Amino acid sequence: MTTSDPNQRQLIREAMQAIATRKPGRSKLVYDKTKRTIVAVAEGAQIAQALNITADDADMFGVLTLSSEWIQEQWPALTRDGVVPLSFSSWDDGDALTQSELCVHASASVVYGELLLDAQPTQPQLVAIILEKTDGTTSDQGVFVSPDGATYRGRVQSAQPQGASKTDVVFADVEPQLALRRSSILETTILKNKTALCVGLGTGGAHVALELAKCGVGRFLLVDCDRLSVGNVVRHPGGISQVGRAKVNVVRDLIMEKNPKAHVEVRAIALDQDNRDAIANLVVVADIVICGTDNRQSKLLLNELCVAANAPALYGGAFRRAYGGQILRVRPKHSPCHQCFVATMPDEASDVEVSSETDAGEIAYSDRPVAVEPGLSLDVLPIANMLAKLALLELVADSSSTLNTLRGDFDAPWYLWLNRPEPGTQYADWPPLSESSDEMTIHRWYGIYFDRDDACPVCGDFVGSLAAHYGLDPAQLPSLEDGE
Amino acid sequence: MWSSEQRSRLAVEHQILQREGFSQFSVYHHSADDTYYASGVATSNSGSMYSLYMPIPSGFPTARPPLYITKPSPLLRADGSRISDSGVSHAMHTLSPHENGWVQICHWRDARWHAGIVLQKVFLKAHVWIEAYEQHLATGHSLADFVRTMADVA
Ligand SMILES: [Zn+2]
Repeated sequence: MTTSDPNQRQLIREAMQAIATRKPGRSKLVYDKTKRTIVAVAEGAQIAQALNITADDADMFGVLTLSSEWIQEQWPALTRDGVVPLSFSSWDDGDALTQSELCVHASASVVYGELLLDAQPTQPQLVAIILEKTDGTTSDQGVFVSPDGATYRGRVQSAQPQGASKTDVVFADVEPQLALRRSSILETTILKNKTALCVGLGTGGAHVALELAKCGVGRFLLVDCDRLSVGNVVRHPGGISQVGRAKVNVVRDLIMEKNPKAHVEVRAIALDQDNRDAIANLVVVADIVICGTDNRQSKLLLNELCVAANAPALYGGAFRRAYGGQILRVRPKHSPCHQCFVATMPDEASDVEVSSETDAGEIAYSDRPVAVEPGLSLDVLPIANMLAKLALLELVADSSSTLNTLRGDFDAPWYLWLNRPEPGTQYADWPPLSESSDEMTIHRWYGIYFDRDDACPVCGDFVGSLAAHYGLDPAQLPSLEDGE
Repeated sequence: MWSSEQRSRLAVEHQILQREGFSQFSVYHHSADDTYYASGVATSNSGSMYSLYMPIPSGFPTARPPLYITKPSPLLRADGSRISDSGVSHAMHTLSPHENGWVQICHWRDARWHAGIVLQKVFLKAHVWIEAYEQHLATGHSLADFVRTMADVA
């Protein structure tokens, strides 16, 4: 039975190890269709009726990902001791091992290991990753560059039964790899130091925060007093495993998944008069304020604080059942503020989505409850996307960003979007998309002008204009009498 | 119950095996209970013979077919212990053994399997596994030393 050619056996061993280590050897494996078995032949030999055995055919395991930054931090200890302990989230039955330091959400299955430099594995039950010097290029994901400039590859040696055994080792250099993907379009260095204050983290507000994180915005202040409920999950970026958590914490973690270097501060407080000072303190450090709350009182409070702090703000909202939505951009003193908007267009300003019992309570009469009628995520996201883009434009306003060419296009203060021609609204008779090139239709953005109110009680001179109206001199008004 | 697409896919799989130099393997239909399986005898480079058995799952080709070594049985490690005793073993590249104690070769993990993989490729991997196994017997080294992996292209 074992008519083994010792030369063949040695060649097969070398060829298999060459495949395993991804180094060319002097022999390679082929499947000989005539002999119907595997044979080793000299590298470069051409065999009729043979299939080359590629790395793919011997591919049976997954990938192990290490944090380059973490290894750099550990480098003094690693060069001194030869070993540093580490752990991994194990995904898909061990198909992917991701170093815990890279994980915002860890897997339920954790595998322990050790990283070795010029040292032997200490404990057989650990996944041992051995760093070996290489002359690989630094752009290769499989190559780690040490603080002293040497290049290394990782090799997994032993393994515990449930861990990966022969596994590709990849080094995740998170920040440079993410920046590279954004850099052609965005000034990542500018955005990294910008602060977005996001107040209200429902479906729309959470989506805006995440889009800004993907663009590279580096600092977030999150304000929301709600917890994620089961009913939220159909719309909110947070999923079923996050139910019960404060939305500020859910969104913080989602931001960290997209931008691991972000600085995120959270305040699980309501946007109301009780927290006025706390929120005012956040507004003064924000480069952009994004308001995703649904009730007028909270928007007007934030408006007041933003105008006082001269902070640009964006107010987004969906109409009832998200048949459409609107965005108001406020550049204090330069464009209408939310108070101007409410005074100028009371109907538009009051058509809000009722997406929670709290919202319903805000506008319900005690004898006539208002139904909770949230729209689809699908109908909220166009508005959130637009809002994120407008926010980005504000953040790069003082730079020479290519995005700045858009500033001339997005010149209106108020933006309107309709998802459907809702019966009973002024939009009910809008023509179908196919029939209209001039008339207004659904699924288009409309930028709409209206004037700032010089007599606005928030951003204008309300008192002065009243005084003028009554022929009074504000500086010469008589003092008020003492009350009883 | 098999769809006509499944039945013709299995017929084609058999033809590929015959035409691509894998005629030691065939796809069979067991008409008594209307089940399908593929089987045959693989011969290693050193001349050892291994009987392979692949029951076709009802979800094939979306579902991954398991591949068992039915002979030699039990299949032993270099140290003489049974491979099947360790169940799922990454060091040996095996999945849960058959209830009869047959070793299941890890050819594709469920996470990587897709309907575009033909049985010929599965049997080719079985041949690779057998060569790695014989190297393990000769050297005592883990199979992992002889079988490489590939990362997903990011
Ligand atoms: Zn105003």
